[in-house]
Amino acid sequence: MPDALLVRDLRVHFHTRRGVYKALNGVNLLLRRGEVLGIAGESGSGKSTLGLAVMSLLPRNAALPTGQVILDRMNLVNLQVEYAEQVGDAFKAKRNERVLKRVNRAMEPIRGLRLSMVFQEPMTSLNPVLQVGFQVAEAVYVHAPGLLARRTLARAKATPDDVRALIGILRAQGPDEAALRAFAKQRHLEGLEEQALAVWRRTDIQTSRKEKTILGLCQQPLQPLEDKVLTQIADAGFIPFQYRATPVFRKLVRRSLLKEGYRKAEELLTAMGIPHAERVVKMYPHELSGGMRQRVVIAIALANSPEIVIMDEPTSAVDVTVQAQILDLVRQIRTSVHASFIVISHDLAVLAEVCDRIAIMYAGRIVEVSPTDAILAKPLHPYTQLLITSIPGLEGKEIEGIKGDVPDMRSPPSGCSFHPRCPFAFERCKKEVPPDYAVGEGQTVACFLYAEGKTP
Amino acid sequence: MMIAAYGLSKHFPIRGAVLAKTTLKAVDHADLKIRENQIVGLVGESGSGKSTLGRCLVRLLEPTEGEILFRIPDAELAAYEAALGQEDEAKAEAIARKYSLVTRGGSDLRLVRREMNVVFQDPYSSLNPRLRLADIISEPMLSTHYCTRAEADARSLQLLREVGLPEFFEDRYPHELSGGQRQRVAVARAISTNPKLLILDEPTSALDVSVQAQILNLLRGLRDKYGISMLLITHNIAVVAYLAEHVYVMYAGKIMEWGDRAQVLRSPEHPYTKALMSAVPIIGTKVNRTILRGDPPNLVTPPVACRFHPRCPVAFDICGWTADEVVDDLGYVLTGKYFSTFGDRLVLDAPDTKTIVIQGTADAAKVQQVLEAEREESRSLFSVKSVAAANGGVVLSLHDPVDPLMYLLPDGRHAKCLLFRPAGPAATPAGPTT
Repeated sequence: MPDALLVRDLRVHFHTRRGVYKALNGVNLLLRRGEVLGIAGESGSGKSTLGLAVMSLLPRNAALPTGQVILDRMNLVNLQVEYAEQVGDAFKAKRNERVLKRVNRAMEPIRGLRLSMVFQEPMTSLNPVLQVGFQVAEAVYVHAPGLLARRTLARAKATPDDVRALIGILRAQGPDEAALRAFAKQRHLEGLEEQALAVWRRTDIQTSRKEKTILGLCQQPLQPLEDKVLTQIADAGFIPFQYRATPVFRKLVRRSLLKEGYRKAEELLTAMGIPHAERVVKMYPHELSGGMRQRVVIAIALANSPEIVIMDEPTSAVDVTVQAQILDLVRQIRTSVHASFIVISHDLAVLAEVCDRIAIMYAGRIVEVSPTDAILAKPLHPYTQLLITSIPGLEGKEIEGIKGDVPDMRSPPSGCSFHPRCPFAFERCKKEVPPDYAVGEGQTVACFLYAEGKTP
Repeated sequence: MMIAAYGLSKHFPIRGAVLAKTTLKAVDHADLKIRENQIVGLVGESGSGKSTLGRCLVRLLEPTEGEILFRIPDAELAAYEAALGQEDEAKAEAIARKYSLVTRGGSDLRLVRREMNVVFQDPYSSLNPRLRLADIISEPMLSTHYCTRAEADARSLQLLREVGLPEFFEDRYPHELSGGQRQRVAVARAISTNPKLLILDEPTSALDVSVQAQILNLLRGLRDKYGISMLLITHNIAVVAYLAEHVYVMYAGKIMEWGDRAQVLRSPEHPYTKALMSAVPIIGTKVNRTILRGDPPNLVTPPVACRFHPRCPVAFDICGWTADEVVDDLGYVLTGKYFSTFGDRLVLDAPDTKTIVIQGTADAAKVQQVLEAEREESRSLFSVKSVAAANGGVVLSLHDPVDPLMYLLPDGRHAKCLLFRPAGPAATPAGPTT
């Protein structure tokens, strides 16, 4: 399987008034295409920092002394690393701001389009004064106005024959994206296929109703001016300068594209299992429950069909019954969306539900990466072993916990950062940082117990 | 009995609705008992009212109504319950007067406060950052006049040791401690006056699992050593499974099921408890999930009768459906799923809470067919009692809702669900296929 994302020797140091917090200390991580990778760790282990670093969303006081985040042969953090190498200990947050400006510009075509993120608190990541439909629509409007223009144009140009042919394909081959896309391309109706597909994928209505809805996706005439403007946007893929500069056109373009965005939002929210999406798009975040808000946030993240979605604690702000709903949704969307997922959580049991592989983080390093079943059945790293025995089950089995506390990352312990709490620690652990050892079937562990020639 | 609450309610007034008297029914007629030396778990989702109930029990909040009896001998409690059963209010009140917490006030209440204490959720905000640990721990002893200052100082050292912290911590301030250490201090403070009852309000939810285990073991050790009764309020079912002997399950302000820990958690009977337990992810087990639809209800206008019925996977005709709920489901079914049968001419209307009028079709038989076919999917359709054609439309009338009571099950647990009503619905509907 080709790789979707590669993180190599990533270090993040936060420069604060009270000292330098070494949040990440050399993280190596590989995300395969199409997989769901879990990152588990206790608070302060650096798992959220890793997510933010990949998105280049770290605050200005974060220095990246070393590291690479490689997406499609591009190193996303090279600017930040270059700057940190250049200044060394003389890192100044104020100066870093200028670097971040360049980073942000460079990330524009990537963030939200190829990489997107679901943040922890659905309450705070939505804007309370905007309708949720607008917030979903905006994500598409900003990144892919061409798509929205094409969708509107396709509905204007399509003839009843076209949509009947489309239904024919759906009837014969089911929701086969490639066939639909080829058909739309051949008839110059790009954008129509995703609308038909969204209707066809609905599970709450009968086939006859779906077909009637799809039949309605044609002959929706446009004003001549609107037609001309949208055609230019569709061809360019962005909003041409002359339309952004003149207020009259700006208003027209915005209204027209956002209207289409609301339609897209409706489709996305329906796909997220929100009933009555046509009503929900007009609501404000406070009118929705926690679970609904989380679905909206996930819809925004998926709006531009990104390659990689990072979910930071997607279920820690919701209740266990809603958590079950969200996990079910994640399992569903991974089959219908062509994306790789990184799910960050402090709850190993949550990750075990949805992930193919799980990485365990401790004190800014990934101490073990294993396939889900293997890590639960045969955890390798002493920390993973103790962590799993600390989780109370329903049978009331005895739990022990791990002695001591998470280390202060201003002065992390020498050698393996887990050695002060580790029951198996020996001399070498205090002096050297253990490298990653490959053990068994795809398991990697950073612990000297598994050093060459040793069998624990 | 350490503490027993009867019909405890807490209704919070809604701001800006003075005349309408709208209230949020956070806790509604909850009964709860804790025996001596017993750890009782109270689980529920956020907003279910579990913290409110806990705070009402020790009168950190004033309950709207209900009775709380503290340290009442079992014989008198039996007499009280008998009096309640016979609706002999005068007699019940006479017994309750001596033990009631609700009627106490002022210095009288202050004395009782020695005997009960609370450990709060967030050890980062429940400890005063400007006090030394020794002062934090002494505070309850001084404020309830439990002992003199000198004695309190000596005892706070002893308490630090008791909760596994070194004595030299007495001069430290909360910000110097980690989360686990802070929660140990909060426990030390809570047991400083030798209380008989501890309310633990989410004692470990701000902590990591590796530290959580330490705190849970500490609490269990204290119970074994001093015989303190505890009410463990948490949303984490595994924590309750680890510590508690009895479990109460709360949903939307009502207690849904209670009984022995092993019974309630391993073989839940109430549909909500079943769904809750199946939703808990447990490492190494793959369970068959019951995924509940929708979200917990708004408690300003809670659902009629059983508060769980809109989400219940086995709800049936008398669970409390109103016409509005049925119109929502039926409208979706008729115009969505049965589009080819009815087209989009249908107009559904609910003139009152028990009648629905469908305009646009007069085919009562077909509607009846749809109802029967879709009942399992949309449980609200069970509530339709009769279907009749009238005035060119179809009129549906609904069953009367029945309020569920707490029913005693044969194995000794209690569940508030009409499925367990003695001589209940002749044929209880089969559970859903999940």
